[in-house]
Amino acid sequence: MKRVNLILTLVALFLFSAKTTMAQNNSNLKLSGYLQTDQRLLLQSPNDWAWNENRLSLQLNKKFAGRAKFHSEVWLRNMGIPNISSSTDLFNKGIIDPWNLEIREAYVQLFGFLTKNLDVKIGRQRIAWGTADKFNPTDNLNPYDLEDVLDFGRHRGSDALNMIYYLNSDFSLQGVFIPFFQPDNLPVGVFANILNQGIKLPPGMILKGYKDHVNLPRYNFAKSSTVGIKLRGFAAGFNFSLSYVWGRNGLPVSTYNTIVPVDTLGGVSVTSQLSFYRRHIFGADMAGSIEGVGVWAEAAAFLPAHEVVMTNDLSAFYPEFPVPVTQKTRLLAKKIYVKYVLGADYNFANGAYVNVQFLHGFMNEAGKGNLNDYFFVRVEKGFFYGKLRLSPLSGGFVVSNWKDIRHNYALVYVPQLSCQATDNTEITLSAAIFGGKGESIFARLKGYNMIMLKMKYSF
Amino acid sequence: MKKVKFQFLMLSVFILLGSIATAKAQDANAILKKMDDVMYSFKDMTGNNKIVLIDKNGKENVRDATISQKGTDKRLFRFTKPASQAGISVLSLPNDVMYLYMPAFDKVRRISSSVKNQKFAGTDFSYDDMESKLYTKKYSAKMLKTTDKVFILELKPLSKRSAYSKIICSIDKQNYYPVKMEYYDKGNRKIKVADYTFTKIGKYWNTSKIVMKDVKRNHTTIMIMSDVKYDQGLSDEDFTVRKLKE
Repeated sequence: MKRVNLILTLVALFLFSAKTTMAQNNSNLKLSGYLQTDQRLLLQSPNDWAWNENRLSLQLNKKFAGRAKFHSEVWLRNMGIPNISSSTDLFNKGIIDPWNLEIREAYVQLFGFLTKNLDVKIGRQRIAWGTADKFNPTDNLNPYDLEDVLDFGRHRGSDALNMIYYLNSDFSLQGVFIPFFQPDNLPVGVFANILNQGIKLPPGMILKGYKDHVNLPRYNFAKSSTVGIKLRGFAAGFNFSLSYVWGRNGLPVSTYNTIVPVDTLGGVSVTSQLSFYRRHIFGADMAGSIEGVGVWAEAAAFLPAHEVVMTNDLSAFYPEFPVPVTQKTRLLAKKIYVKYVLGADYNFANGAYVNVQFLHGFMNEAGKGNLNDYFFVRVEKGFFYGKLRLSPLSGGFVVSNWKDIRHNYALVYVPQLSCQATDNTEITLSAAIFGGKGESIFARLKGYNMIMLKMKYSF
Repeated sequence: MKKVKFQFLMLSVFILLGSIATAKAQDANAILKKMDDVMYSFKDMTGNNKIVLIDKNGKENVRDATISQKGTDKRLFRFTKPASQAGISVLSLPNDVMYLYMPAFDKVRRISSSVKNQKFAGTDFSYDDMESKLYTKKYSAKMLKTTDKVFILELKPLSKRSAYSKIICSIDKQNYYPVKMEYYDKGNRKIKVADYTFTKIGKYWNTSKIVMKDVKRNHTTIMIMSDVKYDQGLSDEDFTVRKLKE
């Protein structure tokens, strides 16, 4: 693992120095970024704070004679509220004022490397694939950053080698190699259990204790790497792309549960083994404009490399049995399932903007028959030369079972008002109202209605 | 003395009659084509663009951008200031193909052509106004009148999707660049007035300044071009998605 990183770093440094020693620096190191505060308050009594984030994003950019570029983005954040449980915690400023430092991106990009048609980007980077708005089934190279589940589509950067060869001005071929696997990070704060499906125990058992162990893949080329290729093109007025990714699912699945009785009343303790399965992803997307209406479609066909099975080990209940007593449940068949998005948008002459999308299969859903349907709409109108933007109708409707919609639906409503207070200061006031029944992620957010205030100053 | 005065008067009358006759002889669309020839005669162009927004209280906001253009239908516009917009870029290509690059998401998005009716980046210009496209391909012209300095044409949009019902365009009789444009909405109300200043750079007439006023909202946008360079040999590859992300 360390060797792979070392090799990549050395290659990056070599390429970077080789290209830049020849080139004369034509720009200074440029510092930019923003300061953002994000405060959310639950509407339900006793009106707890749901979110407190103060983020300083620092971006460094430098271009070298138009032939190379360095870019980095670092987040320095004060995140969450003090979580003090004993007086000793009061000696630790890190607990009283929790903060963290995160390298979002840090890469070197070489334009026209070796041949004028080849661009190479090395280092931590975001590789955003897909044409849909925020919900991109084909965007699977970077791990999801699910920390804030309301920030749909946010990903972390990956340490990657990314090459794009431009066949001509309309067609390009991209190859990506990510040497080691990075799992998705899970939601925090009030959202912490949103993605937790819970454990389905055999009848009569009551969960009294739980612990788990995450099995990361072995860090070598064969086990931990991710590769992706993409062909982009433009024809008949439409942009399109075809892609393929060979990687791992970023959310762990429970594959082996050891269930041990802890009392005589049916109480059990579960030790769960979590792992990340391999999968093939075949993607396609398109975007264009028909009679002034922007249209896009994006689909990804997922094929697990093998059947994903969860085994419940009940041997502790049968100590005298000569062989392990297990119960197997198939979580995911080795069959293709398809997630897709269809969308359109339109700008009206009076400044109104409408964006509608239909999504089949949210990012945490997998397997044919487990994919829910989502309808999203956003209506915006700008006032005072865009200084004030009102989004009175923004949200979605989710159906998790068409045969019983009354018990399997969700509604999310997110009205928003944003104000460009100065050229560099934007203040956004919004609310998030959730309702519904069933198993979709938005139905589980019921009870977390909140009001949100964001202020962002760019520099 | 009286004879000299009479000759001068006759000469003036002849010049006046001659110029009227010439103007009448010129077809309005031919004049519009000459304006296109003046405005888009260069092979390519780069420059800096300073945009000053002035609201009805006189408060000013300034934005800076770079602009590059090739031919009549390829243009790359990139904001450099303020910080909140720096790096946001728009690439306009033939056949209503437009891309928007948002550096915060490192993603290029194809944008629908309906955006043409929207105000461009909070200015009094619409995306349609900013489009690099020949006027003769967007409008049909009719001669309204001539004065001693300008031809005044009425331009009717060829596309039904245009936000305008007509544009009254004043064109300099000597050099054929536009001096003034008055924009009318679908209800035939005058909504905007643009005053143009042209200066000659080398062999080309350059739009050095445009003052666009929204007469309804009493809001003004001044667009000033500087560091303009022509015919530097820009290629089609300078107007691609690849370049947009650089």
